[in-house]
Amino acid sequence: MSAEHLDPALRLGDHLVSASGTNADFASLEQAAEWYALFRGARATEQDHQAWQTWLRERPEHAKAWLHIESVSKRFDPLRAGGREAALVGVRVARKGAVSRRRVLGGMGAMFGVGALGWLAWRHTAMPDILLAWAADHRTGVGERRELQLADGSRVWLNTDSALDVDYQDGIRRLRLLAGEILVDTARDLARRPFYVDTRFGRMQALGTRFAVRLTDDQTRLDVFDGAVAIRNVAGVTLRVEAGQQAHFDADATALDGAADRAREAWSRGVVLADNLPLKVLVDELGRYQRGHIGVAPEVADMTVMGVYPVDDLDRALAMLTRTLPIRVQRPLPWWTTIGAR
Amino acid sequence: MAAVSNSVARTIETLYGEHHTWLQGWLRRRLGSASDAADLAQDTFVRLLTRPASRGFGSFLEARSYLRTAANGMCIDLWRRREVEQAWLQTLATWPESYAPSPEHRAIVIETLLEIGNMLSRLSQKAATAFVMAQVDGTGYRDIARELSVSERMVQKYVAQAMLQCALIDAGLDG
Repeated sequence: MSAEHLDPALRLGDHLVSASGTNADFASLEQAAEWYALFRGARATEQDHQAWQTWLRERPEHAKAWLHIESVSKRFDPLRAGGREAALVGVRVARKGAVSRRRVLGGMGAMFGVGALGWLAWRHTAMPDILLAWAADHRTGVGERRELQLADGSRVWLNTDSALDVDYQDGIRRLRLLAGEILVDTARDLARRPFYVDTRFGRMQALGTRFAVRLTDDQTRLDVFDGAVAIRNVAGVTLRVEAGQQAHFDADATALDGAADRAREAWSRGVVLADNLPLKVLVDELGRYQRGHIGVAPEVADMTVMGVYPVDDLDRALAMLTRTLPIRVQRPLPWWTTIGAR
Repeated sequence: MAAVSNSVARTIETLYGEHHTWLQGWLRRRLGSASDAADLAQDTFVRLLTRPASRGFGSFLEARSYLRTAANGMCIDLWRRREVEQAWLQTLATWPESYAPSPEHRAIVIETLLEIGNMLSRLSQKAATAFVMAQVDGTGYRDIARELSVSERMVQKYVAQAMLQCALIDAGLDG
């Protein structure tokens, strides 16, 4: 799970001040790797999350170990744009080379008085994080939103925790959504170049239009507000989605879902729209803009909510909810919020 | 590199004067390219500045032997980098979707592949494959299990194993 795939609740972000100065030990790293593998699969329960939180706070070494896990996870980011097959082949070849390289380094290490991996580490420290950020042309962090004006006058809004490549050429206008969500408002192009949005599941062609695209782990979701969009997924299945319609697709299939959701463009104005939404769904949506964990107790999860909530002010949104619903918000730690019955 | 002392810099200067032309010629014969040879010769001397070995050498021959070994390592690095780059680009080209990475992005990808290849070099092919699949496009355990003909439980074990190996290196605990 690289950074984008990592559940926001599992991200430590800047809450790790207490861990600075400590070093992770073998046992902590081993446990952190186990946690990671558990959460990366689909079987982790709420109890697992709570146990993980407890583990995390138990010792500073645990938090430090988790930071190493996050750091490793992020290194895979640059490989995503090229897709899985290319990454697999590349890593296979690189692994093969690494074996013979170590043999050579055995001799080198003896000469320098450092281990082979110390040497390798030095060879590779020269890849600072700033290089990694180049991997996508535009990137937003958790809680951040950005508006882009493209060369042809088209406008694109990036939602929280999203990454986008922009590729304008002579014959083509192409965006590639690598993570997260965008809202697109295309401009008429004097050169009449087609406008494409690609995700790893397929391609969407804008036919004069305003639409939102959201990429999740297993599919791409499309809401069309104006004009139409033609989908062609990796398997070659096509679908035309008209204004007012919503659709989703993955590598294998495409399907219409019903009416376009106005909430999918509301975020560009900094708000989350709730129109008879279950509390749990609204809180999950607000959670996309926050680091840390927000839990909703099962007994209040299905209460329906109406209203307009700010995306960048969780406290205010929660205060608004507390006024209209019989709920109680608790925050034992800055990044740990729970919502239960009053 | 700010910490390089004057005496070290002088030693390097002497070494550079005595060995640079020879080293570049040696590299050119090995690589078959004058510009690659010039780059790597430069890198070899730059590396001397950043390594404790630049205390100096007992003799002319000791210095040569050191430089030859160091430059040889750099050649292997270069070949490996090219091999990885070629494999990656070839696979990209067979993909139906046109994806043309910028030179900067390409360099970052190759660096990343080499780094990940190093980190995963001690794992089994299956464990490495499972981990890369899960990391690069978030493939679910069930799909990975099907593709590798192992149980989902095993995939989770592979991911934990691979992550531990990488994290140990990241934390500087592997040696």
